[in-house]
Amino acid sequence: MNQLAESPTVAAPTAAEPRADGPSIAAKALLWAAERGIVVFTVVLILASVLFVDGFASAVNVADVFHRAAPIGIVAVGMTFVVISGNYLDLSVVAQVATGAVILIGVSNSHSIPIAILVALAVSVVYGLVNGVAVGYFKANAVIVTLSTTYIGLGLLRWLSGGSIFFGPRDGTIESFGDIKLGAVPISAIVLVVVALVLGFLLSRTNFGFVVRAFGSNKEATRLSGVNTPVVVLGAFLITSFAATIAGFVLAAYSNTAVSSMSDGYDFGALAAIIIGGTSVFGGKGSVLRTVLGVVFVSVLTNVLVLSGVGFGWQQVAIGSLIVLAVSVDALARKVSKK
Amino acid sequence: MSDDQSSTVGPVVIEADSIVKRFGGAVALDGVSVSVRAGEIYALVGENGAGKSTLMRILAGILAPTEGTVLVDGRPLEGGTRAALDAGIALVHQELSLVPEMTVAENIMLGAFPTRGGAISRKEMQRYAGAALEEIGVAIDLDEPVSRLSVSLRQFIEIARAVARKPRVLILDEPTATLTPAETDYLLEMLQRLARGGLAIVYISHRLPEIFAICERVTVLRDGRHIDTADIADTTPDVLVDKMVGRELKQDLGVVRESNPGDVVLSARGITAPKVRGIDLDVRAGEIVGLGGLVGAGRSELVRAMLGVDPRTGGDVTVVVDGQVRRVGSYTSAVRHGIAFVPEERRQDGLALSMSVSDNIALPNRRSISRAGVTSPARQQAFASTLADTVGLRPPNVKRDSGDYSGGNQQKVVIAKWLGLRPRVIVLDEPTRGVDVGAKAEIHRLVRELADEGTAVLVISSDLPELLDLSDVIHVVRDGQIAGTLARDEADERSVMSLAAGESMVTSS
Repeated sequence: MNQLAESPTVAAPTAAEPRADGPSIAAKALLWAAERGIVVFTVVLILASVLFVDGFASAVNVADVFHRAAPIGIVAVGMTFVVISGNYLDLSVVAQVATGAVILIGVSNSHSIPIAILVALAVSVVYGLVNGVAVGYFKANAVIVTLSTTYIGLGLLRWLSGGSIFFGPRDGTIESFGDIKLGAVPISAIVLVVVALVLGFLLSRTNFGFVVRAFGSNKEATRLSGVNTPVVVLGAFLITSFAATIAGFVLAAYSNTAVSSMSDGYDFGALAAIIIGGTSVFGGKGSVLRTVLGVVFVSVLTNVLVLSGVGFGWQQVAIGSLIVLAVSVDALARKVSKK
Repeated sequence: MSDDQSSTVGPVVIEADSIVKRFGGAVALDGVSVSVRAGEIYALVGENGAGKSTLMRILAGILAPTEGTVLVDGRPLEGGTRAALDAGIALVHQELSLVPEMTVAENIMLGAFPTRGGAISRKEMQRYAGAALEEIGVAIDLDEPVSRLSVSLRQFIEIARAVARKPRVLILDEPTATLTPAETDYLLEMLQRLARGGLAIVYISHRLPEIFAICERVTVLRDGRHIDTADIADTTPDVLVDKMVGRELKQDLGVVRESNPGDVVLSARGITAPKVRGIDLDVRAGEIVGLGGLVGAGRSELVRAMLGVDPRTGGDVTVVVDGQVRRVGSYTSAVRHGIAFVPEERRQDGLALSMSVSDNIALPNRRSISRAGVTSPARQQAFASTLADTVGLRPPNVKRDSGDYSGGNQQKVVIAKWLGLRPRVIVLDEPTRGVDVGAKAEIHRLVRELADEGTAVLVISSDLPELLDLSDVIHVVRDGQIAGTLARDEADERSVMSLAAGESMVTSS
């Protein structure tokens, strides 16, 4: 920064100096945990798992971790947009993932795979529009709106499917797609990487991503800068819907089946990854990379707990506690930095 | 202090003795003493920021004085609002603090619900609330939700709420701000009646005619200092205004701008909105138009309604874009047509404090510094650095969070972000409030330079020397209307204050 060198020599006392007493050690640790903690924690967790947990580093287990992480990761990467825009979350991803899966399999059987993909994407646009218009234009509470659209979506899906399980086309096209692998890496993980790269670019390097982050930082300042803010919120929900539908495709291809209950818990799983990754629920701060790290962390931790024989109940307790810890660190760090 | 004993007033009830109040380094009150007697209506006057509200809040126990004591019946008052309420001090706030969803009776008794065996007794509540309304002589259905009442009726309910607590001291802060003339007359009569019953009343108002109509004594505050206390009978509105203004009337900093206004660029007709009652306004290219008036007169509401920041209920706004007249509907259309807005609350509304200076500057300029919607950090950095340089940001490190900078530097960033759009019109609401002297001068220089380059400038300022210094013409707003217009050579602190406070005066036209 050569501007600093060129700055006027005398008249510089107007800039605010950092608080005179400086933050305490506890405050510094807190800020560090909120800023960079996830990177270190993830690396330590993986290293420890490789070293101390039997069977963790086996090819079969790694592929399994990827498989479980991928669909939830795709959902979480999309939902990162809604969270960063300061609108909390999109609970309706549960219904959207299942809807995407059921439409892909069901319509592929009755018509063709391309038509199935188009229909599913069209439905995802409807989801994004309903959520985005209600929250962005009508300023309705996002939690309540998306809880309600989950209800509507799952209700419609149960009515359409009659609660039955759909199996993929007999020619096995969907199934064979789901089985593609690059070495030990299954196609689902590759889709996650591609979606993360595209949405990461959208969030960090485009005008749209910029205004999403700005809106999450300060809604009114962003509006007063001439940004059409309702469109920004709508865009964030549309992207979440798109990602959830892709996740539905991946999930359906992997299992070659679809049922309305297949994505139960995805709302919480995605939120866990986003929050543990360090994206702030207050909006403005966060990134797609953080969410990917959060997904890796949660997936590896869950896997390690399973391998160590810890029951499902205690897994839930562990993940729930981690989220409480992460949101508290986020809130406290915000209070300490006073911005 | 005057010791003249008028026949109707009794002994001193409440007394503030050498009150000093500091907020951080700023001195809000500097050794102020007042004493109010039973049966007396006592006026507190002064400009915006003179310390009236701070003093009132100290009397009501909301704020603790840094030095000095409040005495009630000669005994020191300690223990905050609770102790003040117990001592019989009731405060009627300027901002209405009623709960709209609750009924009239519930609002009047809020915080002091009469109970029977732990449960609220509705019958008792109705009885007490009814008695309070009767005492102030206002007839309203006790079961009506407050949300259905007019703003002026709500003001009377606020007073009933204070009266229901059987106070010995009643403090009112600008109670007539929202009232019509007839309602004002009624309120003034009511206060006189309450005073005759032995109540001590502290009356804060900018409206000198009201003070001369009902008050016995008046204290003038200026910049937190006690300037004078006089019997109303011994003073005149002119004398009071001079004492309120006080400063040596030379604010000419040697910068008399050669103003050369062009055609009208921004034009507003018949603007109505909450607190704005039909205002016409024109701003010409290269002209600085000032909006003067008291806090709460409706100036911010006017510009926000004009630009579409807040919805307006009536009126039309147009802006001339390359010779074409364009309507300003929504705020986004205002920005698209080249109107820039620097809001009053810069930390809340002007900047995203957790984002860098560079990001904040880029926000309204994102289209011009991106290619096909893709941002370029290098280009954004260069763009922001140039503008930060133009406004004199110090230190000029655009990568730092804007929240790390001082108020003056933050305001420079808000201005910088608009400069990139080369605005046709810039509207600034209190551009230098809370800004240090050096930054203030630089912001003034920027505003003048913008006007010199042909930008139409509209400035709201409660800082009179600043308003007089910057403006080519000043419209004074009072009660949501333009009370008068003063050209540069006829505007001084007195003429602006007189129009703002509503003292009858010859309006120049």
